[in-house]
Amino acid sequence: MIRLDITRWLAFALTFAAVALPIRAQEGEPAGEGEKKDVESADAEKEGDRWFAIENGDIYTGTGEVLRGATLLSKNGKIHKIGYDLYIPPATKTLDARGYRLYPGLVAISSQGLLGGSNSDPADTIDPFNFRMILGLATGITTTGAGSSAVKLKRFSIKDAVINEKLFASFSWSGNNPRAKSDLRDKFASAAKYQRDYRAWQVKLKEDKTAPEPSKRGVDNTVLSVLQGEQTAKFNANDRDDLLGIARLAQQYGFRPVIEGCQEGWTVASELGRAGARVIVTPRDRRSKDERQASDGGASIENAAILYKAGVPVVITPASEGVDLGGLVGSDIMHLPFEPGFAVRGGLPERAALDSITIEPARRMGVSPRVGSHEIGKDCDVIVTDGDVLHYKTFVQWTVIDGKIVYDKEKELYFAHIRPRPEAVAPKKIDAGETAVKPETEGDVEAKKEGESDAEKKEDVKKDDVKPDDEGDPK
Amino acid sequence: MTFSRTMANRLGAVLLASGALLSSCASQHVPDLAALGPEDEGVAIRCGRVLTVDDEDRTFAPGLILVKNGQIAYVGAARAVPSGYTIEEQPGMWAAPGMVELHAHILGSGRDINDMVYPVNAELRVSAGFVPGNADIRRACAGGVTTLYGIPGSGTSIGGFGVVFKARTHATYDEAVVRDPGGMKVAQSYNPERRAGDLGATRAGLAWILEQYNEEARAMNREGTSTPALENLQKVHARELPVLIHSAGSDGYPAAARMWQVKNGVRAVLSHGCFDAHLTAPWLVGTGVPLNVGPREIDFVSTHDGQITGVAARYLAAGAKDLSLCTDSPVVPQEELFLQGAVAARYGADSYTMLRAVTIAPARVFGLADSVGSLEVGKDADIVLRTGDPLDPRSCVERVYIDGRVEYDRRRDGQWF
Amino acid sequence: MLRPQTLLLGALLASPALAGGPLAIRVGRAETVSKGTIEHAVILVEDGKIVTIGEDLPVERGVPILDRPEWTVIPGLVSCYTRIGMDSEGGDDMSPEQKASDEIWPKSQDMRKVVEYGVTTLGVYPAGNGISGQAAAIRPLGATVDEMLLKDSVYLKIAMRSDSASKKRVRDGFKKADEYDEKVKKAREKWEKEKDKKSAKKDEKKDEKPDEKKMAGVDGQDAGPEVAEEPKSSKSDKKDDGFVPPPADDKSRAFVQLREGTLKAVVAFNSASDWLHWLDVLGKEPVHFDVRLVLNLDCDLYYVFKKSEYDLEDDAIADRKIHAIVDPVLTFTPNTRRVRNLPMELARAGAKVCFTPRVDELRGYKDWLANVAELVAAGMTHDTALRALTLNPAEMLGVEDRVGSIEKGKDANFVFLDGDPFEATTRIQAVMLDGRIVFGEVDL
Repeated sequence: MIRLDITRWLAFALTFAAVALPIRAQEGEPAGEGEKKDVESADAEKEGDRWFAIENGDIYTGTGEVLRGATLLSKNGKIHKIGYDLYIPPATKTLDARGYRLYPGLVAISSQGLLGGSNSDPADTIDPFNFRMILGLATGITTTGAGSSAVKLKRFSIKDAVINEKLFASFSWSGNNPRAKSDLRDKFASAAKYQRDYRAWQVKLKEDKTAPEPSKRGVDNTVLSVLQGEQTAKFNANDRDDLLGIARLAQQYGFRPVIEGCQEGWTVASELGRAGARVIVTPRDRRSKDERQASDGGASIENAAILYKAGVPVVITPASEGVDLGGLVGSDIMHLPFEPGFAVRGGLPERAALDSITIEPARRMGVSPRVGSHEIGKDCDVIVTDGDVLHYKTFVQWTVIDGKIVYDKEKELYFAHIRPRPEAVAPKKIDAGETAVKPETEGDVEAKKEGESDAEKKEDVKKDDVKPDDEGDPK
Repeated sequence: MTFSRTMANRLGAVLLASGALLSSCASQHVPDLAALGPEDEGVAIRCGRVLTVDDEDRTFAPGLILVKNGQIAYVGAARAVPSGYTIEEQPGMWAAPGMVELHAHILGSGRDINDMVYPVNAELRVSAGFVPGNADIRRACAGGVTTLYGIPGSGTSIGGFGVVFKARTHATYDEAVVRDPGGMKVAQSYNPERRAGDLGATRAGLAWILEQYNEEARAMNREGTSTPALENLQKVHARELPVLIHSAGSDGYPAAARMWQVKNGVRAVLSHGCFDAHLTAPWLVGTGVPLNVGPREIDFVSTHDGQITGVAARYLAAGAKDLSLCTDSPVVPQEELFLQGAVAARYGADSYTMLRAVTIAPARVFGLADSVGSLEVGKDADIVLRTGDPLDPRSCVERVYIDGRVEYDRRRDGQWF
Repeated sequence: MLRPQTLLLGALLASPALAGGPLAIRVGRAETVSKGTIEHAVILVEDGKIVTIGEDLPVERGVPILDRPEWTVIPGLVSCYTRIGMDSEGGDDMSPEQKASDEIWPKSQDMRKVVEYGVTTLGVYPAGNGISGQAAAIRPLGATVDEMLLKDSVYLKIAMRSDSASKKRVRDGFKKADEYDEKVKKAREKWEKEKDKKSAKKDEKKDEKPDEKKMAGVDGQDAGPEVAEEPKSSKSDKKDDGFVPPPADDKSRAFVQLREGTLKAVVAFNSASDWLHWLDVLGKEPVHFDVRLVLNLDCDLYYVFKKSEYDLEDDAIADRKIHAIVDPVLTFTPNTRRVRNLPMELARAGAKVCFTPRVDELRGYKDWLANVAELVAAGMTHDTALRALTLNPAEMLGVEDRVGSIEKGKDANFVFLDGDPFEATTRIQAVMLDGRIVFGEVDL
């Protein structure tokens, strides 16, 4: 009895250590065979469990940490463990990612065509074989918003692809249509009144069981669902005045709007921050200032950065949300990671830029408990890249969804011919992160740029013991 | 090839760095070209890194650029600054030459680029509609583009003559313009085909029309005569002016090279080169005609083999020299010329070659390399200071000098791009 | 060959009444499909059926001999998914009760003509989109529909796309079947109550017995619970206890039969995702089905040929060992001009390939063998190709006991060729249907 408890405790402790601390395997550890077995059983191997491990890669968890040369282990499609010297069950399929980086699968807040079907009805129309989905996966996108749903790019399968539905209640708020604005305000007023009446009625019920239930007549169900927190109110607005109007409405009725476009948001960032607004922006949007107004206006490349600094969570989406194969490159969904780069140009920290296409859109769609970062228990949606995901030359080498490789650059025609992976197992630095200029001397000035995230700093600390071949590491 | 060049470059740079150390010790004894006279204006820019984009691709980190009266008087490793210079400390910045665009339509008015009545308009000059320092040009400057060739559209076979100008943000016509006419604009296929019922509905018709004019201009050159209408076309045939040719496809691109490069032997630059024109790359490169690729940098649909092909990479693989990139602004916003380099690099080209493709290569093929395109002594001080790699969207342009003047400063002007 | 014999046989053939007499066919080669190839084959035919087949069999004196040592004989071709010779307009999207046999027109010139191209069995389906109705297996020749009909209701045609409308049609169909089940259940309860009342009058203790019996019957089923919960067909119910279930209405009957396994579905689609959506909408319904794969130029169906190939979550087409009706065409890997032989890939993966002509018109039938020959030239084996024109489609139609191969007891349906069926120079010399030469000049 006692011995059993001890071994169980030991197993627990070791497992915990493996997860929490990047310790190396201790060869001389006094743990005997018996204990080792118990460690294994702590992983609760069962017949039919599906194990998958990506080994030796630099894991950018999306939560700020970077684990160099670490292993990510998935069980039945969920992230089981992340760390060093993990016990890998014998039936595990493995992918050696030495010299590559692991990021959370990217999340596109919205896209066109990747699902191959209708965005309004993804569950019944998704085409998990269509080539735009492959290109989406090649971009690193593993989850996308489609209409009012969040859908995973589960290639080869239509099962459980839709992971959340009825996310947004879309409203219009535009200076061009003052009538619609006042109508909407009235709807919020009546829905709020209904809520109050309902609450009062419930109190009353305790004394008087015959008290009549307040009437729902004239109450807009969509607006009510927003006030009850069942749906997120989404506005498409760009004008400073409209943005202020939305902020006031939100503060008055106590909901947190999502504002898409938000081109002049930088001029009213603090107001939006106080109203709890969240935004979906395109840094390269162009809009000229209305010269009749004295105040600031027009689009700004600094929009995302200024909003972010005012506490407004930022999601970034490209100007074209479809796949553009006409030849003009760099502003479509296939170049999703380019757009946050322009926000960095405008002053957004790199960490926030990565968040803007991973965890932030996941949060907006209510799927952050499942996707958007590498955390234990979340879906094993991983992209393995040959460099910094925000760098223009970086290619996704493998995309993993639910612990299954669904895209391998070398196995599809699209990009296989561009800088093919070296066949050799020996770690060789891929040049994808190379800057236009080669560092010519040791201790080069390349070390750190403005806006570099904490994650990047951490990696420097670790680089010596894990990855000696780090010359020309991109920033 | 890239690797060995990288190594050579690194080795050279190490040698240079050590040489720079020596020279900085001995600098007081070197006769100084950068010394300022009493009337001279001088600015010294000390920065983290200087990318000269010269023939040896020299880079200096940290580096120093001395600007004297709008021209570069010194570029190289850090050294003592002669007296009289205003010193600009930019330790975090990368200095690179201002970028050069050979295919821009942002002259100020979208209407003034196509005169559609006649197929050949060799007498027209687009400079008549040029608005220096217009909003597009300012943004271009904030994106690091300093020299542009503004041209007519591709609605007619010869749209007229373009103008080479600097992206000065506040300037008069005379201050901005470098060369007028700067060169001719020809449109060979995919646009100039006529739809009005006159000759020129087909490529055959268009070729015939062009060759008649070419023949006439050459005959006049032989005879030593001239008319105002053909005066500039004659200069093209006398190789005094370059010509930029709009063409594309595996059909149109080689046809344009045959007419202008092979047959007429003018200073032709073939622009666009998109769709499946890259399939003809080996032959094209063999003719020696310089290519100016853009704004479409990839091909998927025309090649139809499931590959997403980086067009520039294909031309480079065939041995193209002095390949340049273009935006066809406003098709791609002018300030995103660097991004054309980034995507060309993404789809298979070498980053450094792509930096050359937006700086020195276009300058060279258009006869502008003696003044712009690289950071070398004696050239115009068109310098862009950025926070990093010039091709990386994340690198922010902090300051742009044109002819030694600060035309854009992020802190002073606010961030335009 | 003797002149009188020729005359005699000519007379016999001319008169159907006398056509039943024995006839020996002696050819250079017989490709039986089911029993391999027989050189110097002799086939004895009587009463329109194959009596025997073998190599160099002796022929009884007096039996007329069709003696063509330079010919090859193959089974009559079976086209299992066609509307040749049918000309009605399509009905609405949901008409599972519609039957193709109701619109057969025996005087159709097209049907007479396809015989010349070697086709001796047709599977005709009703016109219309969506779920258009039930197909029939027929002979292309006959004076009346009954004479032509081999078997009715051979499959229910279901068109499937990756869209809500297609999926809704199928869901609605099964909903209708559910409603019918409910109706049967209520009728049975009512019936049992009445029965109980009757028996209660006799003895109260017997009250629970019918229920026990029913429970036992349900538990005793071998199939899974879904199957067990299905109402039994009227036949089995009748057998049990004399309960007569109410008749199914037109709209629900076909889906009730699908569940019972008395009717099979043929699901038509053209992309890999359609297959997954079909499986999705099918759920655990125990439906027997085959597939009709429409091969477009940029067809991506190869993703769902074999489960192991792309590590699919569900069974792929070939894993189900079902029949797959395809066009004899070469296609491209999507977005390329890289040629694929999908019918060959499908057969290699283990599906039972059945060919349909490229176009469902006479010109399609005219080129049918030549089109299949292109796939053979591109790597498909001769035997697979021939089987996909004969025995596989016969099985698909459920008439393999009658047609599809040259075997003792089967209908004497033959195509006589002057060479290999998949050689470009080969021509059809004669066609025999039910022991009668229906095309070609034949001397005896």
